[in-house]
Amino acid sequence: MPHIYIDDKLIEAQPNKTIIEVAFENGIDIPHFCWHPELTVAGNCRMCLVEVGMPKRLPNGTIAVDSSGKPEISYFPKLQIACATPVSEGMHVRTKSEAAINAQEAVMEFLLINHPLDCPICDEAGQCKLQEYAFNHSKGMSRFIETKNHKPKRQSWGPNVLFDAERCISCSRCIRFAKEIAHQDVLTFVQRGDHVTIELFENKEFDSPYSMNVIDICPVGALTSKDFRFKSRVWDMSFNDSICPGCARGCNTKIGVRNNEILRIEPRPNPYVNKFWMCDYGRLTQYDFVNNNRITDPFIKIEGNHQKVTLDEACSEAANRLKQFNPHQIMFVGSAKATNEDNYILAKFAKLLNVKNLDFIKSIDENFQDDLLRCADKTPNSIGAIEVGIKPDTHSVKIEQLSEKIASGDIQALLVMEENFEEYTEIFKNLSELKLLIILGYNHSNLSSLADVILPASTYAEIEGTYVNINRRVQHFTPAVVTSENLRFMGMKMSRLDKFGAFNDRWTQHQLRNSRQSWKIIQKIANNLNAGWSFRNSHDVFLEITHNIASFKGMTYELLDEFQGLVLGKAEKPDPKVRNYESHYMKPN
Amino acid sequence: MFENTTKLLLHDIENLHEIDVYIKNGGYEAFKKALKMTPDEVINEVKTSGLRGRGGACFPTGLKWTFMPKGKEKPKFLAVNGDESEPGSFKDRQIFEFNPHQLIEGILISGYAMGIDAAYIYIRGEYHKWIRLMQKALDDAYESGFIGKRMKEVFGTDYSIEIYIHKGAGAYICGEETSLMTSIEGDRGYPRFKPPFPAQRGLWNMPTTVNNVETIATVPAIIAIGGENYAKIGAQKHPGTLLFGVSGHINKPGVYELPTGTLLTDIIYNHCEGVLGNKKIKAVIPGGSSMPPLRGDEIDGVKMDEESLKEYGTHIGTGGIIVMNEDTDIVKVTLRIAHFYHHESCGQCTPCREGCGWMEKILKRIVAGEGTIKDLDLLVSVANNIEGNTICALGDAAAWPVRGFVTRFREDFEKYVTQSRVFKAPNIVHGRRNTADTLIEAV
Repeated sequence: MPHIYIDDKLIEAQPNKTIIEVAFENGIDIPHFCWHPELTVAGNCRMCLVEVGMPKRLPNGTIAVDSSGKPEISYFPKLQIACATPVSEGMHVRTKSEAAINAQEAVMEFLLINHPLDCPICDEAGQCKLQEYAFNHSKGMSRFIETKNHKPKRQSWGPNVLFDAERCISCSRCIRFAKEIAHQDVLTFVQRGDHVTIELFENKEFDSPYSMNVIDICPVGALTSKDFRFKSRVWDMSFNDSICPGCARGCNTKIGVRNNEILRIEPRPNPYVNKFWMCDYGRLTQYDFVNNNRITDPFIKIEGNHQKVTLDEACSEAANRLKQFNPHQIMFVGSAKATNEDNYILAKFAKLLNVKNLDFIKSIDENFQDDLLRCADKTPNSIGAIEVGIKPDTHSVKIEQLSEKIASGDIQALLVMEENFEEYTEIFKNLSELKLLIILGYNHSNLSSLADVILPASTYAEIEGTYVNINRRVQHFTPAVVTSENLRFMGMKMSRLDKFGAFNDRWTQHQLRNSRQSWKIIQKIANNLNAGWSFRNSHDVFLEITHNIASFKGMTYELLDEFQGLVLGKAEKPDPKVRNYESHYMKPN
Repeated sequence: MFENTTKLLLHDIENLHEIDVYIKNGGYEAFKKALKMTPDEVINEVKTSGLRGRGGACFPTGLKWTFMPKGKEKPKFLAVNGDESEPGSFKDRQIFEFNPHQLIEGILISGYAMGIDAAYIYIRGEYHKWIRLMQKALDDAYESGFIGKRMKEVFGTDYSIEIYIHKGAGAYICGEETSLMTSIEGDRGYPRFKPPFPAQRGLWNMPTTVNNVETIATVPAIIAIGGENYAKIGAQKHPGTLLFGVSGHINKPGVYELPTGTLLTDIIYNHCEGVLGNKKIKAVIPGGSSMPPLRGDEIDGVKMDEESLKEYGTHIGTGGIIVMNEDTDIVKVTLRIAHFYHHESCGQCTPCREGCGWMEKILKRIVAGEGTIKDLDLLVSVANNIEGNTICALGDAAAWPVRGFVTRFREDFEKYVTQSRVFKAPNIVHGRRNTADTLIEAV
């Protein structure tokens, strides 16, 4: 364990690490552009130049000491890059000495001389590493009065990524990502000197399922998302932590919201789940169903027409009609898209009514799987759903038999939570046989058009809850989008514009959806049947889960947040906490 | 062949490039002599000789060889740097043309000393003729069994080596040792940062030593005459003979093999027979375009070896002496050199990538008569910001001549910016202004 001094602070470093890694782990940020903890070291941005010195050794091998008994340090005449210099015993590093700061200011000046001043129309502005460092580590002025170099703009790299060569600072993070993480080695530097730019190899496209991560790691606005391009300034948006529901990996995400509409989803580092990455599928597909085509009010089918009612009316209608069936005629369909809390309350409700027919739909797509993040299971919480009790017993109806059981009349009432049978289409030909169909759904769909009672469920972006990922890791998430239910909870988590916009402001003209988290709706129905439940929020539900289900024992939302998720049954042995690296992000957030 | 100790590389023997002539004159005897020694003894002999690298950095060759790991766990490589891309330097091609077998013998000896499995002779792509000549010599040596599998029957040794010629694609940067390795590997010629040094992870991540052609070609001479005798030649701290490639305003330009420590005036006035048109000397670049220049009035008494030149703030470099007479427009010379380094900067490190282009733009403006006196300080400041802050030495190579010319010939530059100044409103967009950083004291 080498002992090193960074800015005179004694640090016990892990061996074989570089200065920048040791500094980062100990809370000292050395400015850098090209270094990224998950990529190989390139050492080309020269921003992390620091003064490095070693104790002076006398010819007899002992360390020279000065009059006060401290070892004399001889500093290398040249500055060293912190990202490529391994630590060794007794090393002294100065990150804020005059020489180091001069070098940083020089590098910033060099980087900016050919960088276009188009921040006002650049998507990266506001969360740009170059802007941030221009503020913190440059002289604030340039001596450059020549003409700037011109390079190609708006080059398409693939279906999702657009490249602006003028903004590029040639840090090579994208090239290394494509090669080392996405395993699609299609990018390369071409040209030399200040004409250097990045191009695709001939007849190649950067269409890897993970291509959009280069947009996040790009320290400047050279790489932009075709999907998000020019949609919003980042400071107009709020970024709240969430979990991607695209597959069972449960990648940690941040949801960017403006005007109560999700504009983009980006990964949030979690060393135990997704590191720094997420797939393009997760980014691009997991917000449309939140933004559009939502069921915003409860409906009851009266004489073949859906009529808008209040939630209380809809719930009592559901309860009254459920009462008319024998428990074995009823089936509850839970959902792997819903949280543990929702599924737990559904299971509890099933127990209350003595309904044994309880199952959910698994969505398995082997083609979706790869060896980086994506899993064959395309739902976020199938392990959690089973864990909290959404499973048929030996005699009850399984989801595969549901269609024929409806046809045969064995099942006459169906309650479907957060599911629209998209992958179970053969059921639709029999659904009209049902005497009662209650759905808790997000979007208007074929299923909702058949339902007798429609209850508006909140999506993952509007609720608080937990998912269990493919590695049995329980992860907590909170809302990012406002509904009339969570308005007070959201408070300052909304973007400034959404929160404080005036009535005539276009950012306040959004719709406030009157949807509810599924377990709240089920609790209402249950209370209509004299259940007497009084869960106030997801905390209460999770507390009961931790009491009643052994594998959740010892977990709380606070612990889940603190340790970035806990593995089922191992709440006492959390993974070690590490300092998460975030290259550059919207501040303050 | 090595009797005349001032001619150790370019001997006065006709047709020495032919293998028969080379053998007749004692060729490959030094290798046989080396085979009688242990590898460590060979390295010690080179250490004793005080041989310093001829590529410009003047690193002690024997010491460099000791960095190579011992043992045979990994294949070890030798890269012989014949890229010779420095403007003003044209010495290696003399070796390729007139004495290729001494280079091959040098590779055999150094290969034996370090246990090298394969050697690559990296020759710049523009040297078509010399690549052909070198290949011919190599083929002859293979045919005679001096290289490769037949070394056991010819020399009676268990040691064997393969030698290949690798043709560069014409980039200055590929003369830098680490980018030379990436170039040999087939990648874009980008320097790698050190550590890890090539002796730890070089070609294909295997231990590698990179030496200049002249360095390796000197090794047989050292073995033949003995390290101690070699150390007596020329300057004490930088011994041996050097190939000086003299060009510019000179009556007899060419490559001269002379002991180190020879007076610069001696080279110019005696060996090269004086300055063209008998004019005064304005400037001399002592070691290829990347070295700071000497003023014409300070060359008296300058000895051509690394330690002596250091006192004058410049270096021996590759020994490519460029002489410029009094009619030379120094500002345009600086612009030409800056243009070269702008064109050849690989574009990897920020300071060199952006700074080389910036310096050229400033110089272009000065030449166009739009410069100001401030621009001269700016040039020096930009050069200082590039120097030492890059992965490889190209940054230094670009910064040194510009800073050297501006500081040593400041009056020429001042003449340009004061006499031929075209007055134009400066672009004040980037002028000094208060920023949030200066307004808010503690962030």
